[in-house]
Amino acid sequence: MALSRLKKFCIPENSHQVDDCVAEYGDNALILAGGTFIRGLEVRGLLSEVEALIDVHKLGMDGLVSGVGNVRIGAMVTFAALEQLAELHSAAWLAAVRDALACPPLQIRNMATVGGCLAASCPFYDLPTAFLALDGSVTVSGAGAQREIGLADLFVSLFENSLEPGELITELTLPRPPGRSASAFIKLEGTANDLAIVNVAVSISVDAAGVCEEARVVLGGGVGDRVVRSATAETVLKGQQLTHEVIEHAAAAVGQDIEPMADHRATAAYRLAMAGVFTKRALNQALSRLN
Amino acid sequence: MTNMNVVGKRVLRQDAFEKVVGGKGFPVNVRLPGMLHGKLLRSPYPHARIVRMDTARAEQMPGVKAVITPADVPQIPYNPIFFMPVTSAGLVRDMLILSDTVRFAGQPVAAIAAISAAIAEQALQMIEVDYEELPAVFDPDEATRDGAPEIHAGVKNNISDTPSFAIGDIEAGFREADHIFEGTYETPRVHTCYMEPRVCVADTDTNGHITIYSSIQHLFGLRERMAYALGLSVSQVKVVQPPYIGGGFGSKLDMVYAEPLAALLSARTRRPVRIKHTRYEDFITNARHPMKVYLKTGIRKDGTFCARYARTQCDTSAYASQGPVVIMVHAHYGLMLGYRSPHLKWEGKVVLTNNIPGGAFRGYGAPQACFAVESQIDEICEELGFDPIEFRLKNTPRRGDPHPFNPEWKLDTYALDECLARGAERIGWSQRARAGSSSSTKKRGIGMAAHPLWVSGCVGFPDIYEHSGAIIKLNVDGTANLSSATMDIGSGQNTVLCQIAAEELGLADGAVLMSPGSTDTLPFDAPTHASRGTYSSGNAVKVAAAAAKKRLLEVAAVIMEANADDLEVCNGVITVKGSPARSMSVADVVKRAESPYMVIGEQGPAPTVLEEKGTIMGLSSLAPSTNPSPAVAEFVEVEVDTETGQVKVLRAVYAHDLGRVINPAAAEGQVEGGLQQGIGFALMENMLFDPESGACLTSDFLDYKMPTAVEMPRHIESIFIESNEPSGPFGAKSLAEACLIVPAPAIANAIYNATGARIRSLPITPEKILKALGKL
Ligand SMILES: Cc1cc2nc3c(=O)[nH]c(=O)nc-3n(C[C@H](O)[C@H](O)[C@H](O)COP(=O)(O)OP(=O)(O)OC[C@H]3O[C@@H](n4cnc5c(N)ncnc54)[C@H](O)[C@@H]3O)c2cc1C
Repeated sequence: MALSRLKKFCIPENSHQVDDCVAEYGDNALILAGGTFIRGLEVRGLLSEVEALIDVHKLGMDGLVSGVGNVRIGAMVTFAALEQLAELHSAAWLAAVRDALACPPLQIRNMATVGGCLAASCPFYDLPTAFLALDGSVTVSGAGAQREIGLADLFVSLFENSLEPGELITELTLPRPPGRSASAFIKLEGTANDLAIVNVAVSISVDAAGVCEEARVVLGGGVGDRVVRSATAETVLKGQQLTHEVIEHAAAAVGQDIEPMADHRATAAYRLAMAGVFTKRALNQALSRLN
Repeated sequence: MTNMNVVGKRVLRQDAFEKVVGGKGFPVNVRLPGMLHGKLLRSPYPHARIVRMDTARAEQMPGVKAVITPADVPQIPYNPIFFMPVTSAGLVRDMLILSDTVRFAGQPVAAIAAISAAIAEQALQMIEVDYEELPAVFDPDEATRDGAPEIHAGVKNNISDTPSFAIGDIEAGFREADHIFEGTYETPRVHTCYMEPRVCVADTDTNGHITIYSSIQHLFGLRERMAYALGLSVSQVKVVQPPYIGGGFGSKLDMVYAEPLAALLSARTRRPVRIKHTRYEDFITNARHPMKVYLKTGIRKDGTFCARYARTQCDTSAYASQGPVVIMVHAHYGLMLGYRSPHLKWEGKVVLTNNIPGGAFRGYGAPQACFAVESQIDEICEELGFDPIEFRLKNTPRRGDPHPFNPEWKLDTYALDECLARGAERIGWSQRARAGSSSSTKKRGIGMAAHPLWVSGCVGFPDIYEHSGAIIKLNVDGTANLSSATMDIGSGQNTVLCQIAAEELGLADGAVLMSPGSTDTLPFDAPTHASRGTYSSGNAVKVAAAAAKKRLLEVAAVIMEANADDLEVCNGVITVKGSPARSMSVADVVKRAESPYMVIGEQGPAPTVLEEKGTIMGLSSLAPSTNPSPAVAEFVEVEVDTETGQVKVLRAVYAHDLGRVINPAAAEGQVEGGLQQGIGFALMENMLFDPESGACLTSDFLDYKMPTAVEMPRHIESIFIESNEPSGPFGAKSLAEACLIVPAPAIANAIYNATGARIRSLPITPEKILKALGKL
């Protein structure tokens, strides 16, 4: 039964109260942010072990800062609040986030938080793919200590992250890329209410001559047990003029770095083919935003 | 038919506001004092015999009030479908409320009532059941092979029924043909996905009489089946009419296990018992019958049909249920009647499998047929170079022709030609490019499909109920209440019926309100299905309104000292024809009719006239005299992404000769909703099952994809071709189902026009398209 063992619903106002609750319930305590992922677990009867829910909405963590060298997003910033960030609508380098934010249904955007979508470690979500393409990292605090984790190290596998019990994500940092940079995100979905069959986010930086200095190509959806970076595709792009041929070549290369799965929505062969098509389209889109 | 005040207006739905704020009238919101909650234990096996069942631990659980097993249930075989007499010779009665044998994964084997749904759910796990697993079969082809598992004793090769019919000499017909086309067309198992779950609350009184609230499309059908399966007489079951339900689309045209089980649990506990399906339980309750249609057509050089042969295999699943009925509608009104051919032959096969039961779904066998027929016509036109519109007109009935189903009926208001012409003009048919001629990655295409003949109700169908009734009662404030056992399943039907009543009575828009009743108080009504609401129930409402109006004018005539024939009523005011100064409000007339005989006035008590006295009302109960067929055509434009296989429907133009539009907004709602379901059927919907266990893998909308508002075309146009159907209320015939019959083949044909890829099995997924294009 869903939440049949729930004994405590904490609404801590400081980190000590979080620690107390975690100390008491250990692994059976669960952080509650927007609750949109947790609700899905609940209706599928997957929360039968949970004894305490820790609702973190009174802990702050809702800052949204366009800083000098980075953009910092508090863990409790909802998708809808993030859409209010002015820079998001003008900066080419952040465009992948804008693209990804357009995907979840409105009701979800109003509830879902940035911290929740990262902690869930679900490769079928859209924002994590975009954030990883932008080289994001999270600040994590717990038991009085604080540390930084790159997103590639946060996502361990499907629904599994590298947080210790009691550790909270407090903030996501997206570093400003050098030079002329742009990004893009595209999703393949069955309907507008679908999780990604495949999604792709890319971020590119070019020098004055148009040569690609930095490239990050990230794929999500059913292409691995976590969001995957395609090092092969990135190598193809780096140091090159981003011509049609180079982009085709990079798109063809992503297949080497992913392990597409088959499910009721798509076969592995289709996912593999679409990973290439969507990488090409995302790269072209980013390229068009450079100018 | 000019000068109508209420009919033809975009009248606001009476229940719109209430629904938006939570819909307290939905059966899912019914709560009774002391109510218990029931849950059903369901078999994990698709085919098994129960060897032992131990309920002791469940019964001892705190909060559990009753446990029911097959041993506690009347073993009266029944058929669950509502719209035929329960003892009809046309029905196979092979279901039991609870049985020792289960035939599909998810069939209930026991029921529990407890003080909360959570406790009932937990207690289910305490019931111990030992099953003897039996071999199961899910594929209808395999089910009919020799040696396949026997699902129902004595049903050889699991073939439940093999209906057929023929006209002329089919072999001779094919010999005459200059061209012969053949193909096999397949459609999947899809669910209606109504919003409100199947839910019921049953209560038993001290006499053992049952009162039930349920989300259904037919009050009297539930009453009849409950009584039959429980071994009661019909007067011992009262079905309460909800003011509206949250969608039905055909899925709520049969009794589900929950209804008699809630009644039995209530009888045990002497308390009301509520059972509400989860979405998963809704999915496995019934679904559209998957069909495989083989279609072979012989054509003469001039483009006329000379022979039409079809064979249909229908997977009716674990129980016969609707299968033998749906396949007949499919064959007649789906496959054969719409196009003329001197020689035709059809053979059907209704196959039992261990799949979840088949059920009714808007269009009732016709969407499966229309996909085959209209796809093949497109193939023929493409290959032989005929214009698809002219080709259809060569082979379809014309206005004034005798009706192919019953030559005593005439197609007097039939207008397929106009549907085709006006739809073609709006979509830009003449500018349509040749199939597959675009060289860009994203290719656009235009396609169309027609359904030349559909029904307005069920007059003429063997053993299917068709009469409706209505009660209209005038109030002293000049308003009226309308009661009818017909169910508004979300279409806005109640508003339309009130418009018909108001128009006939001469009252203003909004002056007639729908008042729910029950099977105890209302005249019998056939269900809301078969595109019959406006036409058949509307007819009954109009007749009741006419009776009330007749009495109204008789009373007014007495008061106004006029001849009733010289009076007319408009917008709530009665006047003597030609002398507008002599008038009286409807309210004043009703007040006089309802007043005591001696009225105290300024001068003291004075007598009125006895002949005026009595509530002014009208009653009706009747079936329509005929069954006028509407014709429809739909044109769509799609864009196919040939790198991904994704299809976007860009535009849709739908044309329908519906007689009279009573409420344009409600009518457009039917077209748009049908298109949405049609896009789902065409492109994405498909219920999935584990091939080993037969378990349904579709449990919610994460698994089952149907179009959202985002997938809907930005441009949808409804063209309503009006005429005056003499047998219908204010000239109306039907609309509802055809809106979902035509979209799938229109989309399939548009995809062909865009890409040159012909796909003969639904849904047309991106992967099927890429494979057809040789890209996967
Ligand atoms: C109908 C639906 C459609 C969706 N569509 C999309 C879509 O199109 N694109 C998309 O990207 N996503 C989509 N999603 C997923 C959505 O993005 C996630 O559900 C959401 O981001 C989770 O965030 P939340 O705040 O609701 O998290 P919660 O449900 O509250 O928590 C998620 C998990 O993270 C943990 N957690 C939460 N906050 C923290 C923290 N600060 N530190 C540590 N752990 C934490 C929780 O314990 C839990 O395990 C959809 C979800 C639904 C239900």
